Amino acid sequence: MVFMDTNRKTYVEDIERGIYDIKNEFRYSYKVKKGLTEEIVREISEKKNEPKWMTEFRLKSLDIYNKLGLPVWGPNIDDLDIENIVTYVKPNTDMKYSWEDVPEDIKETFTRLGIPEAEHKSLAGVGAQYDSEVVYHNLKDYLSMKGVIYTDMETAVREYEDIIKNHFMTVVPPSDHKFAALHGAVWSGGSFVYIPEGIQVDIPLQSYFRLNAPGAGQFEHTLIIVEKGAFLHFIEGCSAPKYSVNNLHAGCVELIVKEGARLRYSTIENWSKNMYNLNTKRALVEKDGTIEWVSGSFGSKVSMLYPMSILKGEGARAEFTGITFAGNGQYLDTGAKVVHAAPYTTSNINTKSISKDGGVAVYRGALVITENAHHCKSTVSCESLMLDNRSRSDTVPVMDIRNDEVDIGHEAKIGRISDEAIFYLMSRGISEEEARAMIVRGFVEPIAKELPLEYAVEMNNLIKLELEGTIG
Amino acid sequence: MIEIRDELNSLPVKTYRWLNVNHLNIYENIDKDIKPYNKRFFEEMDDENISIGSISNIITINQHLNRINNEKYEYGVSRKMVDLAENSYNAGVYAYIKRGANIKKPIRIEYEMDRENDVVIDNSIIVASENSKATIVVDCYTVDDVDAFHNSAMKIYANSGACVTVIKIQRMNDNSNHFDSNISVVENGAEVNFIQVEFGSKRAVTSYTSNLKEGGKSSIYSIYIGDKDRELDLSYYMNHLERKSISNIEAKGALKDKAKKVFKGTIDFKLGSSKAEGREEESVIIFDKTVKSKAVPLLLCTEDDVKGEHAASSGKVDEDKLFYLMSRGFTKEEAMKLIVEASFNPIIDRIPLEDMRDIIRKEIARRLVVEERI
Repeated sequence: MVFMDTNRKTYVEDIERGIYDIKNEFRYSYKVKKGLTEEIVREISEKKNEPKWMTEFRLKSLDIYNKLGLPVWGPNIDDLDIENIVTYVKPNTDMKYSWEDVPEDIKETFTRLGIPEAEHKSLAGVGAQYDSEVVYHNLKDYLSMKGVIYTDMETAVREYEDIIKNHFMTVVPPSDHKFAALHGAVWSGGSFVYIPEGIQVDIPLQSYFRLNAPGAGQFEHTLIIVEKGAFLHFIEGCSAPKYSVNNLHAGCVELIVKEGARLRYSTIENWSKNMYNLNTKRALVEKDGTIEWVSGSFGSKVSMLYPMSILKGEGARAEFTGITFAGNGQYLDTGAKVVHAAPYTTSNINTKSISKDGGVAVYRGALVITENAHHCKSTVSCESLMLDNRSRSDTVPVMDIRNDEVDIGHEAKIGRISDEAIFYLMSRGISEEEARAMIVRGFVEPIAKELPLEYAVEMNNLIKLELEGTIG
Repeated sequence: MIEIRDELNSLPVKTYRWLNVNHLNIYENIDKDIKPYNKRFFEEMDDENISIGSISNIITINQHLNRINNEKYEYGVSRKMVDLAENSYNAGVYAYIKRGANIKKPIRIEYEMDRENDVVIDNSIIVASENSKATIVVDCYTVDDVDAFHNSAMKIYANSGACVTVIKIQRMNDNSNHFDSNISVVENGAEVNFIQVEFGSKRAVTSYTSNLKEGGKSSIYSIYIGDKDRELDLSYYMNHLERKSISNIEAKGALKDKAKKVFKGTIDFKLGSSKAEGREEESVIIFDKTVKSKAVPLLLCTEDDVKGEHAASSGKVDEDKLFYLMSRGFTKEEAMKLIVEASFNPIIDRIPLEDMRDIIRKEIARRLVVEERI
C-alpha cells in the first residue's frame, strides 16, 4: 500500500441495513423474567425437560459466574446490564422439520435472509434458531443415512445423551471466563453435528441465528465432532434487528477434530449495533487434523471474539482467516488464539480490519508454543486499514514461546488508502467512490475468496453499503 | 531496606490475563540501604559548549526540567521506581549542551559497583539545546560477586534540531537487580537515538518512552542476552504526538538456559500525528528449549494518515550456518557465538567507542561460549 492524504470526506451517520433490520412483532410462548438467579436457571432447565446432570451443570456454572470478575482488558462493557437481559425466550412455535410448518412471520424473516433458498441450492442441511430455540432443522437424507447427525442441542441432550455428557463444555469449560460461565448456566438452542469416521460431507451445513426479542440474550451452543478422516464445512450466520435496548449474545462453539479430519468453520456475523457479542469458540485438533476458521465480523456494538485452536496432536494444523469492519459506534475486539501443544504443528493466521467513522477495530491475538511442541511453524499477519482519523485501530498480539525448535513469524501493518491508487483508477475513468470501494474490496479479497459464494457477495454488498457516502 | 511492591512495565493496552504479560509483579524486599555512592562516575569535560555536573549540584537546568515536568509525561518501569530515582538518588549527572554546539567527544558515565558501593540510584537529565549534537554513554557493571541494586531514571530533552544519542550498557553480575526508566522528548526536527545493551543482572526491568513532536525522529536499538535464570522485561514505547514524526524500534536478542524474556514494544499514533511513520522489529535466537520468550508488539492508532509496521520472529540458530562454521573448525558454541555476534553487529557498530565495542564483544563470548573470563 502507498499511503497518501485526502482530506475531503463526508459521512453518512447511520446506514440502512436493509433486510437485517426488519423486526417482527415480539411474540413468544414463554419467557423467563429478566436477570439471572438460581430460580431462572432451574426454570429454563425444567422447561426444556433436561436430565438432572444438565440442571446441575447449569447451577454449577451459575455459581462460577457469580464468582468470576469481568475481564480487565478489552472494550468497556459497563453498559451491559445482565439484570436487564432476558436469558430465555421461547418463540411461539415448536421445532419443525418441514419448512412449510414454520410460522409465517418467522418463515418470512428467514426467507428474507435467504436461508431456504440457500438450502435448496447449495447446502447439505440447515438449522434456524429464532431467539432461544431452534425453529427448523433439516438434513439431506443421504447424509443421515451415512450416520451424519445434525440436530438441535435440546434434542441431542435427550437422544445422544452419552456423547453430549462426555463432551459438553469440555473444550470451553465454564470456568474459562465469566461469559462462558453465563453460557453454561443459561444456554439454549444451537446445533449438534456428528460426522462419522471417513465421511466427507461434500456440501456445507448451515445454522442461522436470529435474535428478534428486544433486550434478550441468545446463548446457543454448538458442538461439532468430526471423526477420523472425515470432513465438514459448517457455516454459521447471525443477525438481529436493532432495538434501543442492549441485547447480548454469549454463544459457545466447541469443535472436536479427530485424527486426520478436517473442519472448516465459517461465520458471517452481522448483529445489529445494539448487540454485545461475547462469543467463545474453540477447537481441539488431534493428530494430523485441520481446523480452518473463516470469520467475518461486521455487526454488533461490542464484540469480543477470539476463536481458539488447540493443536493437541502431532501434525495438527490451524488456519484462521478473519475480517473485521468497524463503523460508527462499534468496538470490535476480535482476533485469534492458537496453542501449539504438540510437535510438528502448524498455524497460519491472516486478518484484515477496516475502521471508519469513529469505529474501533482491535486485533487481539495469542500464540503459545509449549515446551514439548518442537518443530512448530506459525505465521501471523495482520493488516489494518483506517478510513479516517476519527476511528481507531489497535493490534495487540502476544507471542509466548517456550521451545527452541520453532519457526515463528509475525507481522502487522497499518495505514490508509493511497491517493495515488485512487488517482490512477480515476484516470482510467472510474469514479472516486467506485475506486475507493474497489481498493477496499481488493484489500479484503484474500478473505472474501475463502467465504462461500453467497457470503462473499453479501460481504461485498456490506462493504458497498458501508462505504457509500464516505467520499465528499 | 528497599521495598518493591509493584506492578512494573504495565502494557499500555491490557490483554488476556492467562498470558501474564499485562505487567510484571514484584513483591520483594531488597536488603539494602541507600547510601552515598563514593566513586567518580563521570568525566569533567573541557569544552565551553557543555556544562556537565553531578545531579546534586543542579541549578542551571531547572527551567528545562520544569518544562518536562509540566508536560506531565508518564514514563518508567513504574511510578514508584521513578519516584525512588528522582527523590532518593545517590548518583546521576546533568548535562546541558549549548545551542548549535557539536560535542564530538562522547560524554561518559560509569557506575562501577562493588561491595562498598552496591547501590546505585541515579537520576540523570540531558538537555540538548537547539541544533546541538552530543552522545552520552552510560556503562553499568559490577566488579565482584556483590549482589548489587541499580535503579536508574534518565530524562532526555532534545530541543528543535538537536541530535542526541544515548547508549546504556548494563553488564552486572548474575546476583544483581537492575531497573532502568528512560524518557525522551523529541522536539520539532530533533533526533534521539537510544541504544540499549542488556547483558547482565539476575533481573533486568527496563523501560524507554519517547515522545515525538513534529518531524521528530526517534530510534531504539536494543540487544540483549538472557542466560542462566535471568529475567528480562523490556518495554519500549514510541508516542507519536505530532505530524511527520518517525520512529524505529529494532531489538535483537539471544536466549539460552532457563532465561525468561518479555519484550513489549508499542508504537502509538496519536490523533494529530498524520504522516507519521513507525517501524518495529524484534528477532530472537533461541538456544534451549528451557527458555521462555514472550513478545508483545503493539500497534495503536487513532490517525489514518500514518504508516505503521511491526514484525517479530524467533527461531533456532540456522542449522546450515552452524554446520558450515563447524566444518571450518569452530566448536558449536563458538559458531553460535559468531552467529549471534553477526546479528548484533549492526547495533554494536553504532557505538562510537572502540573500547566499549570490545567490552561488549567479549561479554557476548563470555556469556555464550564458556564461563571463563576472557
